[in-house]
Amino acid sequence: MNVAVMKTKAEMTLAETFGSVAEALPGGAEVKAARAAAIGRFAAGGLPHRRIEEWKYTDLRGVMKDALPVAVGDETKTTIADVIVAMGAIGRIDAPRFVLVNGRYRKDLSNLSGASGITVTPLSEKLAEGDASGLDATDEDRGASALLALNAAYVSDGAVIEVKDGTKLDLPLLVVHVRAGAVPQLSVGRNRIVVGKGATVTIAEIFVAVPGSTVDGQVNSASEVQLGEGASLSHIKVATDLGSVTHLANWLVELGGESSYRAFQYTSSVGVARNQLRATFKGEHAKLDISGVFLGRKSEHIDTTLFVDHAVPHGESRELFKGVLDGEARGIFQGKVIVRPDAQKTDGKQMAQALMLSETAEFDSKPELEIYADDVVCGHGSTAAELDHDLLFYLRARGIPLDQARALLIQSFIGEAIAKVDNTALREALMEEAETWLASSAAKSV
Amino acid sequence: MLEIKNLHVKIADEDAEILKGIDLVVPKGEVHAIMGPNGSGKSTLAYVLAGREDYEVTDGDILWNGESILEMAPDERAAKGVFLAFQYPMEIPGVAGLTFLRTAANAVRKKRGQEELTTPGFMKLVKEKAAELNIDVEMLKRPVNVGFSGGEKKRSEILQMAMLEPSLCVLDETDSGLDIDALRIVSDGVNALRSPERAMLVITHYQRLLNHIVPDKVHVLAYGKIRKSGGKELALELEKSGYAEFQKDAA
Repeated sequence: MNVAVMKTKAEMTLAETFGSVAEALPGGAEVKAARAAAIGRFAAGGLPHRRIEEWKYTDLRGVMKDALPVAVGDETKTTIADVIVAMGAIGRIDAPRFVLVNGRYRKDLSNLSGASGITVTPLSEKLAEGDASGLDATDEDRGASALLALNAAYVSDGAVIEVKDGTKLDLPLLVVHVRAGAVPQLSVGRNRIVVGKGATVTIAEIFVAVPGSTVDGQVNSASEVQLGEGASLSHIKVATDLGSVTHLANWLVELGGESSYRAFQYTSSVGVARNQLRATFKGEHAKLDISGVFLGRKSEHIDTTLFVDHAVPHGESRELFKGVLDGEARGIFQGKVIVRPDAQKTDGKQMAQALMLSETAEFDSKPELEIYADDVVCGHGSTAAELDHDLLFYLRARGIPLDQARALLIQSFIGEAIAKVDNTALREALMEEAETWLASSAAKSV
Repeated sequence: MLEIKNLHVKIADEDAEILKGIDLVVPKGEVHAIMGPNGSGKSTLAYVLAGREDYEVTDGDILWNGESILEMAPDERAAKGVFLAFQYPMEIPGVAGLTFLRTAANAVRKKRGQEELTTPGFMKLVKEKAAELNIDVEMLKRPVNVGFSGGEKKRSEILQMAMLEPSLCVLDETDSGLDIDALRIVSDGVNALRSPERAMLVITHYQRLLNHIVPDKVHVLAYGKIRKSGGKELALELEKSGYAEFQKDAA
């Protein structure tokens, strides 16, 4: 298909301002060359739009009408108290944390004590040393290449996390991306996570805003994850940005043999979110469990797009996403599972469910199973439903008032997904976040 | 005292009347049984008492202690002491039994102006009541009624009833799906709640339950009306003669 497309204002600005912005971003000559190549890739295709199948529900050309100035450094006077308040219930968890404010690592707000066996280096340091690895990453299959290119061109910082072989750590490592200040910006972060053989860790990426900050902004985040043989990673993402922010996240995951990758993504109170995750089975007998909760109200738009690539035999994948949609919110679930011809004995299951609290909310669910092997077990399901009236009556007949009955049923609905979070402190904090969200919105409307 | 006066009910959005003028009085301290053939309107009466919205009262009134409850929401009625033990108790996945019991008990206590139960106070009470009904407290840590047998679900209903301390108990076919042992446990649970302050309406198709929960009065409901009332011996007559004669009477 060769369609001449007019570039939008945002696209032109993003491509044209590169020269002046890049000077202020970290990186030596090799990195600068990789950035320049990346902006070239971005300029060629522009932002993903609705005529690209994977983006038909989330037209970024329409969403990102304006290019915001790229965040190159943090000049806010954000304090540790601000960060803890911004983190909500998760702020009360005593765990090592690596904090970035407006895309830049803030050593003074971070505290990595307790993260034994884990080395965390700011990406800006790696870039300054000339380490350009990963900046050429693409994801043509799911149309994420343009965002990855934009990320590579403008990335300011992030966490490079190396977990030594055999490390076992109960405490979660928190990577906190904070938005702060009065100026709407495009904040670009990138994390690299390498989990060594046989190591077991929990890493949570938290995206929040300091209360009182601008409600506008754009976030482009990417995480590359590699699991060594027998490694086990519980990878949590929490985006509760409290604004009309456009939040774009790409996770690229590779699973080594007999490894276990458990991802959980919680999204609420974000203007437009696109959570994209690509997981590739590189070694046999690996297990993948991707789950999440999305809570939308008003005109919020939350898109979860997954691509699970069973490239080798004996892989197991589980996907469970639950959404609650109120007002005119829109939820999207696109779950692609490909079972390559060699990937015999694959066991894959997928479920996406939305609870519709208003007649104007919308849920679009698109499972895509491409199976080229013949000895596999794969299944998928999807539902969109209102609260069960019979159950509501049952609860009310026991004296529980309507608001409380609704909240109880909604909690039980999303609780099934939140239960997938193994770490107790994080699981309880997420349930509390969800309850706060319900109390502020969903339980009140009929 | 429960007073049902000339109660006419239809399903909302449908024309056909199900209850065609029920008159019934159940004084405090008494247990009345309502018997009748399938489709006579027994369950409809139970649901209307509890305030289910799928039904529409087209005429008449329901008074509990002299106050009309028709305009009250189901949870307000529960706070006023109305309790319906469901024929088919529902499963609530994701809500632990203990959470459910505590939320319900404290919701009605709050509305009744009583002090809410503390965690230890609640646990003590629930253990005591559960033991009387032969319910393992461990079972209450699981989601409400999920994976319970028919008998377990009915015992769980009676436990809820005991915890909420209602003053008007409506039991809708509580005997259905119970074996003899479960029937005895459930009946003992109900009998334990009999008191001079409590009125009970026991709805059943069979006489068998009334051997265990002996009623003060028996009413026959058929074709939307009370066709006959009498003492407990009426249940035995019905067991012999069946409901055929009332069907002929249909208006």
